[in-house]
Formats: sequence, C-alpha cells, structure tokens
Amino acid sequence: MEQANPLCPEGESKGGVLAHLERLETQVSRSRKQSEELQSAQAQEGALGTKIHKLRHLRDELRAAVWHRRGNVKACIANVEPNRTVEVNEQEALEEKLENVKAVLQAYHFTGLSGKLTSRGVCVCINTAFEGNLLDSYFVDLVIQKPLRIHHHSVPVFIPLEEIAAKYLQTNIQHFLFSLCEYLNAYSGRKYQADRLQSDFAALLTGPLQRNPLCNLLSFTYKLDPGGQSFPFCARLVYKDLTATLPTDVTVTCQGGEALSTSWEEQRASHETLFCTKPLHQVFASFARREKLDESGLLIDCFHCTGNTSEVSNQY
Amino acid sequence: MDETVAEFIKRTILKIPMNELTTILKAWDFLSENQLQTVNFRQRKESVVQHLIRLCEEKRASLNDAALLDIIYTQFHQHQKVWDVFQMSKGPGEDVDLFDMKQFKNSFKKILQRALKNVTVSFRETEENAVWIRIAWGTQYTKPNQYKPTYVVYYSQTPYAFKSSSTLRRNTPLLGQALTIASKHHQIVKMDLRSRYLDSLKAIVFKQYNQTFETHNSTTPLQERSLGLDINMDSRIIHENIVEKERVQRITQETFGDYSQPQLEFAQYKLETKFKSDLNGSILAEREEPLRCLIKFSSPHLLEALKSLAPAGECRIQKPLCYSASYSQGTQDLSSC
Repeated sequence: MEQANPLCPEGESKGGVLAHLERLETQVSRSRKQSEELQSAQAQEGALGTKIHKLRHLRDELRAAVWHRRGNVKACIANVEPNRTVEVNEQEALEEKLENVKAVLQAYHFTGLSGKLTSRGVCVCINTAFEGNLLDSYFVDLVIQKPLRIHHHSVPVFIPLEEIAAKYLQTNIQHFLFSLCEYLNAYSGRKYQADRLQSDFAALLTGPLQRNPLCNLLSFTYKLDPGGQSFPFCARLVYKDLTATLPTDVTVTCQGGEALSTSWEEQRASHETLFCTKPLHQVFASFARREKLDESGLLIDCFHCTGNTSEVSNQY
Repeated sequence: MDETVAEFIKRTILKIPMNELTTILKAWDFLSENQLQTVNFRQRKESVVQHLIRLCEEKRASLNDAALLDIIYTQFHQHQKVWDVFQMSKGPGEDVDLFDMKQFKNSFKKILQRALKNVTVSFRETEENAVWIRIAWGTQYTKPNQYKPTYVVYYSQTPYAFKSSSTLRRNTPLLGQALTIASKHHQIVKMDLRSRYLDSLKAIVFKQYNQTFETHNSTTPLQERSLGLDINMDSRIIHENIVEKERVQRITQETFGDYSQPQLEFAQYKLETKFKSDLNGSILAEREEPLRCLIKFSSPHLLEALKSLAPAGECRIQKPLCYSASYSQGTQDLSSC
C-alpha cells in the first residue's frame, strides 16, 4: 500500500504513524493537564470566592453587633446619669445632717453639762460660765461599773471632788453632777472676778491683789482717786460658801487709821455693802465711772478759775 | 555683808553651771540690769564669781537674799533631790479652808522659831499656787547650817506637801507639825511615794496624769499604726498577728492611755499568793499557808517600761495597774509568763 501521508514527507513516514500517535498522545495528555489545571484553578477560585463571601458576611455581622452595642451603651449612659445625680443629692443631704448634729452637740456646751459615751462609761463635760461669759471646761470620766467610779478627771485639786463623790456618786448621780457643777461654776465666777480686777482696774489698786487658789479669800488696797490725796481703803472679802460667787463677809477699813470724817465713814460703809451685793469687777467699774464724772466736774471748775485769772491779768 | 553670807552666796553661784547663770541671776532679781551688764560672763568662772560677790556686797545682800538664791537654784535642779510626799487631813466637819498666804508664812515661821531658836526660814511663791519653803536647821546653841537645808513644796488649799529627803531626820516631826498647824490641818502622814521627779509625783497625787478626754470634737484614734511586721511572710500569718497585736495595743492603750507616764523609778508590792503546779510534789505548790513576799520593780522609767511589756509580748497583765483610787492600792495578778 502506498502509504502516502499528506501530513509528513516520505522520510518520516516510517515513524509517521507512531510518531503521530505519540504526538496525539502527548497532545491529549497536555490538554488533559491543562484542563485539570484549569479545573483546579477554577476550584480554587470557587473556594476563595466562598471564603470572601463568608468573611464579608462575618464583617457585616460584626459591624452590626458593634452598632448594636454602641446603641446599648448610649442607652445605658442615658439611664445611669439620672442615678448619679440622685447619689450626689443624697450625699449632700447626709453632709447637711452631719453638720446639724455637730452644731447641736456643740450647742450642748452652752447648757453647761454635756457628755459623750465612751467604751467603758461616759465622759461628762462641765462648761462653766459667769454673767454670760463662757469660761473653763472640766471633764469627769466615769466608768459604769458596780460601784460607779471616776476613772480620771480634770477638776482642780482644791475642789472637794472626793467629798462630793463620797456623798452622792453611788446613790444619786444627778445630784453628784449638779453639785459638782455648782462648785465649779462658783469657782470659775470668783476667779473671773479676781482676774478682771487685776487686769482691768489695776490703776485703782495700790498694791498687789492677794488671792488663794480657790479665790475664796481676797484682800487688796484701793484708792478711789489714784494719785490723789485720799487715804487708801483696805478690803478683805471672804467667801465661806464655796457654791456662791458673792462674798459672805466683807471688811473695809481705811488705811489712815486716824479718826475718819463722817464722809469717809459713810463711804467705807457703802463700799462694804457694795462688795457684798455686787460682783467685784462691777463695783470697781462703778468706782471708775464715778471717778470720770468727778473728773469732768473738776475740769469745769478749772475752766472757771482760768477765766478769772485771765481777767485779773488783763487788769494789770 | 557678813562673811558667812558672802561665802554662802559664793558657793551657791559656783554650783550653777555657766549656761544657766544669767537665767538664774535674772530670776533672783537681786542685782539690777545695769549691774549685771558690767559683768563679763566670758571670763573664767572664778573671776565672774568674784565680780558678782563684789556687786552683792555693794547692794548689801542679806542672809534672806542668799537663801532665795539657793531656793531658785534648787528649783532649777529639782532632780538632784529625792522628794517624799506627805498628806494632811482635817477633822470631820471642818470649816471651809480660807487660806491666807501671809498668815501661813507667819504661822509657820513662828512655830519653828519658837521650838528652835536658830533656824532660817525662807519662802518663794510660784505661779501654780505652790510655795517653796527652805529651812536651814540649827540648834539652841549652834547657828543654822546653810549647807544642809530642807525644802518643802506646799500646794495651798490641798492636803499635799512634798519634802526633800535629808539626812537630818530628827527635825521631820517638828516640820510636819509646823506645816499642819500653819495650814490648819489636824494630821500629817507620810505617803508611800518617793521620786526625784516632782512633776511625776504631782501628776500621781493630784491625778493629773491623763488630761485627754473624749469629746465630740476629737476623732477616735485610728488603728493604723505600723506594727513592724515582715512583709515577706505569708499574708495569713500577718493577718493573725495583726489581730493579736491590735488587741494588745488596745488593752495597753486603755490601761495606760496615750499620754507620757509619770516617771517612777521603783514600785514595791506585798504579795500573798499560792502557787499552782501541774507536777506532783512541787515544793512551792500545795502548801496551806500562802507565800508572802515583797516584790520590787525598778527601772529608770518604770511605768513606760511596763507599758512596753505587753506589746513586746513579754507578759500577760490580767488586771490593769489602775491608780485611780490611790497609788498604793494597785493590785496586780502576776500570772506565770
């Protein structure tokens, strides 16, 4: 047979068919590979495509969630803010109450007798006063046990605390406290009068004021007109009643010693009465006022005198 | 000026340390400002003293002035003496105490001078209602010995007086009598209390040792005190320790308070006790008669030492040492530590 192969020349006709088949085979395998690659690429593409879809979906979900949360938080804040203002109001109200209570507790001081509970009893505070002036405070710390006892105190040593306690502490604690208040207030009052005399009216005193710790014996010398010619008076004030601020005995003598004129005698007697009935510094205040009145009277007299002398000098 | 007076003043001034000299001379108030300015205090002490003696001679210092200087020196050096405490008492139903300082001084001096012709008595009042009395003792035939005086510090309108312990004990009854009569009391008794520190004795006897009181203004003390614990320890151990330490702190504070304690150097107790023992046949235990003994505590600062015992974990104090009634009545139950 004539093996005419239109595809290849004669030289290659021997291997022509097999070679052709080989070529065809390789072509097929090539194309098969290509199509496989194409398929796998397509598959990959598909997979990536779905992944993209999934991620997009997830992103959208998350975004939605975030917006949702933000919305919630805003709503929450809107809810919380009215609560916070309520809290602040409550705090202010409490602070106000606290200030009120503190003020009331301080006001108790003005009643003269106040106290505070302690771990073992009560600490009583006695605030003394005289003529509307608040003076020293004294404390008594009581232990509530059987028998009731005083733990410690700031009462001065010369106030008969043990005596008062022996009488009243176990049987009638009210009486004990009131009695102690009496003694302390009277002592504060006497001390106040003596201090005022020493500080405010030193000009009228001709010597130092003699006093004792309880201020229940005072002696001093004074002049109604300091620097004047009159004799000084000696006064001795005795306060036998320790619960009183006015003396029980007053003796006023004149230092001159010689026979006094009736006017001096009258003055002396009137001074004795004054010291018995009025607090000490008030008596001296009245002396000082009287002195000023007298002084102004004296000035008027001097004026008249100078008037006369000028007339006289004019004559010459 | 008497030679003896000059010698006395000289010896007194020599005792005074240089840094206190101007203060004491000013307190004495005998030499004027002008006179003091003429003295050069930077010289050697002997020269200063000589100059001062000359100035005193110019001003004719008396025995009384010299005694006053001695009182002031003693007031500045209180701790050099040991002070005893005496307590006076009145009869029942006595009148109110109208204390007159002038009357007291006159009376006191008269009583001593009537009993012993030769005695020097000097007074100096202080601001705290106390009067310092200096007594130099002599006999019927000898002049008073100015170098061994007795000092008495009497707080008027109280029953208490403090006396410096001296070697001349035979004059103590007379001194007690003079004090009692002059201050219008009936009896005088020596208390079981002695110390170098007048302030501490005062604090105990006048019960002024704790002057902090709870008021509504004071804030309660916080429990946050550094307890000195090791931070590296287990926190549970630290917690247990804190609870125990806080309890001890609280009890110590309740007993002793927050203030500085009066300074005592020793305390003596009579103890009557029976011993308990777990072991059979112990010598001390299981006796019918209780054991009686005298216990003495001594320390440079006894109360502070006791106060620090409990926090240091050294002992258990069952009953607090309370000196509320009077100091000698403190009871203490010493359990075995």
